[in-house]
Amino acid sequence: MKNRLKVLRAERDWSQAELAGRLDVSRQAVNAIETGKHDPSLPLAFRIARLFDMRIEEIFDNGDPA
Amino acid sequence: MIWNSKDEVLGPGETRTRQRQRRQIFYIGVAALFGGVIGFSTGFFDEGTGSLFSGDWENIKLPPALALGLVVLLLGGFLVLPLWGFRMIDDYKREHNFIGFTGGCVSVLAGYPIWAVLYAGGFAPPPHAFGIFGIAYVSMILAFLYARWRL
Repeated sequence: MKNRLKVLRAERDWSQAELAGRLDVSRQAVNAIETGKHDPSLPLAFRIARLFDMRIEEIFDNGDPA
Repeated sequence: MIWNSKDEVLGPGETRTRQRQRRQIFYIGVAALFGGVIGFSTGFFDEGTGSLFSGDWENIKLPPALALGLVVLLLGGFLVLPLWGFRMIDDYKREHNFIGFTGGCVSVLAGYPIWAVLYAGGFAPPPHAFGIFGIAYVSMILAFLYARWRL
């Protein structure tokens, strides 16, 4: 699943460790999500959306047409 | 490097990440200490001539007080620590652990009957408990490492 996590993080000048701490996950988890190796659970996706004050579908794109 | 220098300014997220890393190091340290004590004690105070690896149970002997102490450490190392660790990890690492546990479980399910058949055919010694434990443990670690490498 594609996502904009890396871009959103870069816009705030956060490191992966900074974002990981704010989401209460490991830095490796952030890296895996950013590189598309791991899809976050729904609760984590909501936490990410809340942190960036966006809707989940504005951050994650599973490729389905709207 | 985990600990920051005095003049380094850390964000709240970085601070939490470093706390998480310190907890992980502590966890690994405690697990290694438990493993070291168990390994050293069973090796150094072994009073018998048997071997877990060959399934020679009747000749295995430890001082009773030490055996009880090792039970406490084994409960800590194989029950309390893993459950505590499971509470600390996130979804991503939990997935690695699930794959590891699955690898260990299916290896036993397949490994025991295969070993039994090999024994019946005269290719291997009879299956024994420590061997089954070893199959589960080693394959769990291999499956975990595979998951970490691939995911």
